[in-house]
Amino acid sequence: MAAARRVVITGVSTQWGAELARRLDRDPAVSYIAGIDLARPPLDLGRAEIIEADPRSAVLARLLPTLEPDTLVHCGIVWYPEPGKPARALHDINVIGTLQLLAACERTPSLERIVVRGSAAIYGCEGAAPAFFTEELARTLPLRTTFQRDASELEGYFDNFARRHPDVSCCMLRYQPEIGAELDSPLVRYLTLPVVPTQLGFDPRLQLVHVDDAHGALEAAVRSDARGPVNVAPDGAVSLTRILRLSRRPTFAIPHPLFGPALARLGRRLGAGALYGDAVRFLRYGRGVDNRRLRSELGFEPALDALGAVRDFVERTSARRVGPTLHPGSLAGRLAGMGP
Amino acid sequence: MTSAESATDLATAEALADFLRRVRHGIEDGLDPLYAAERAGVGVPGRLGEALATLIERMRGDYHEDEWGFDEGFAEAVYPFAELLYGIWWRVACEGARNVPSHGRALLVANHSGSLFPFDASMIVVAMMKEHPLPRWPRFMVLDWAFTLPFMSSFMRKVGGVPASRHNASRLLDQNQLVMAFPEGVKGTGKPFAERYRLQRFGRGGFVEVALRTRAPIVPVAVVGAEETYPKLGDSELLARATGAPFFPLTPTFPWLGLLGLVPLPSRWRIEFCEPIDLSGHPPDAVEDRRLLLDVTEQVRETIQEKVYENLVKRGPAFL
Repeated sequence: MAAARRVVITGVSTQWGAELARRLDRDPAVSYIAGIDLARPPLDLGRAEIIEADPRSAVLARLLPTLEPDTLVHCGIVWYPEPGKPARALHDINVIGTLQLLAACERTPSLERIVVRGSAAIYGCEGAAPAFFTEELARTLPLRTTFQRDASELEGYFDNFARRHPDVSCCMLRYQPEIGAELDSPLVRYLTLPVVPTQLGFDPRLQLVHVDDAHGALEAAVRSDARGPVNVAPDGAVSLTRILRLSRRPTFAIPHPLFGPALARLGRRLGAGALYGDAVRFLRYGRGVDNRRLRSELGFEPALDALGAVRDFVERTSARRVGPTLHPGSLAGRLAGMGP
Repeated sequence: MTSAESATDLATAEALADFLRRVRHGIEDGLDPLYAAERAGVGVPGRLGEALATLIERMRGDYHEDEWGFDEGFAEAVYPFAELLYGIWWRVACEGARNVPSHGRALLVANHSGSLFPFDASMIVVAMMKEHPLPRWPRFMVLDWAFTLPFMSSFMRKVGGVPASRHNASRLLDQNQLVMAFPEGVKGTGKPFAERYRLQRFGRGGFVEVALRTRAPIVPVAVVGAEETYPKLGDSELLARATGAPFFPLTPTFPWLGLLGLVPLPSRWRIEFCEPIDLSGHPPDAVEDRRLLLDVTEQVRETIQEKVYENLVKRGPAFL
């Protein structure tokens, strides 16, 4: 790659975009960093120039060529509804946003590399699925959820773009859900509930990427020249039961047809908010992906395996816990709606 | 019961009562229940104390499970029950266990039967653990449908089952595991009792492809006796559709006797491990050779069919 690089990050106010900008800021080989997002990131990103623009609008097509980037990193895919980003807007942000972005890329001849922070949700969660999805197994099973269909559609657009522009190396990262004590995601909120509802008789195998490894993999992808999809996941897998036992949280098994609605209600009461649609299937069947390409193509070595990531998470969240552990009596009180 | 036995029973009961009392005191003092149990368990003597310690360790997540979800501690805990079925209920006679390589990868291929719940996989596991000089836990391919069921899915995974697929089999063999496959699949378990011991089509030979690709030897296994555990006299399409099952067997006892109908009949079993078939002599591109795949598939199928007939004669009457 060229000695001095010009990098544009879309979705820079997300945690992932912001951290990438900070890491690239320290690198003298990167001469220019620009971040595009709807709002300014809450942190100081050093040299990075922050441009407040809607990546879903046609403005992008005029803006992007003037920045003359050689690398584009797309961190703007939204994985779950957030305040201000309801479930209905997800399709808009993910699919329409991607279309606009690619239209802008068409008009940016300086572009040499595109990295997309995508999701392993494209594989779905099936009881009968292969225990470890390799990259070519996407779309071999029926696409069940809206988010899965969106993921498949936007990957399709990128594939198309990559085929028509062989001089641009496109890399699609497929992330398993991240885990970290400081992370604010529905899954982390679920795992830190005072009492964790599970689905009766199901014990999914989970692979959760430690936050530091998630950042590292994105940085490695920007620096490498790998093409095509790459799974981002730790080695091994851990069952949900074991995660909850390690974190010493009481569980509460709910028959699986009732799990979704029960969780929505219970979650609100316990202060976790609802889980997004894919999570119910994820917490029933789990998902494992093969991470060999992460090493061979990106040359990235995850620091922690699946169990290590969970142990790290447990240590930090229990260290943060103030006050005594939950007593069964006070737990009943909280469930009855008397607690905080 | 002798007086010595009743005395030890009394001591155990007292120790248990004492333990529970101390757990209660612990919780009342504001300890978290698991910690209270751990503290109370320190003084409990003998095997009860050991069992409690293991249980508490498991409750804290201090146990091993591999990336497939196989949990050796759990498998060991269930094993005595399977061993009981093996030794007393079905009086299994096993032959040729030494034909299974004691280390490295190997693919066990067996006939499949036992309509309601095919116990043949679990009995092959017990045979490997009991009769082989270097016992190890085989992993087995399980019908996909089982992994969509509550309890069944987590149970199967913990004792070494994985959803039947080429990807899973290849990965396991690459990890030098002993893998068990039943190429007949549902066609084998779902055949009527009148057609017992007549082997069905062996799929499309996917297992040979996996063996060629991973250079694993194939060990044909013939199982006799599983057909009589739940004789399938008919099936109900309506109930199959209602439950989502691939077929819904009607046996002399099931579903007429309810849960009692789930008790398998005590037939006499034989398991024979045949000579391994070494495929490592074929070039790597042999995987593309359809004819070779079908030839090897047929060879394995015929070996098993022959051995099944042989063992049927050796066994004699089914239930005596």
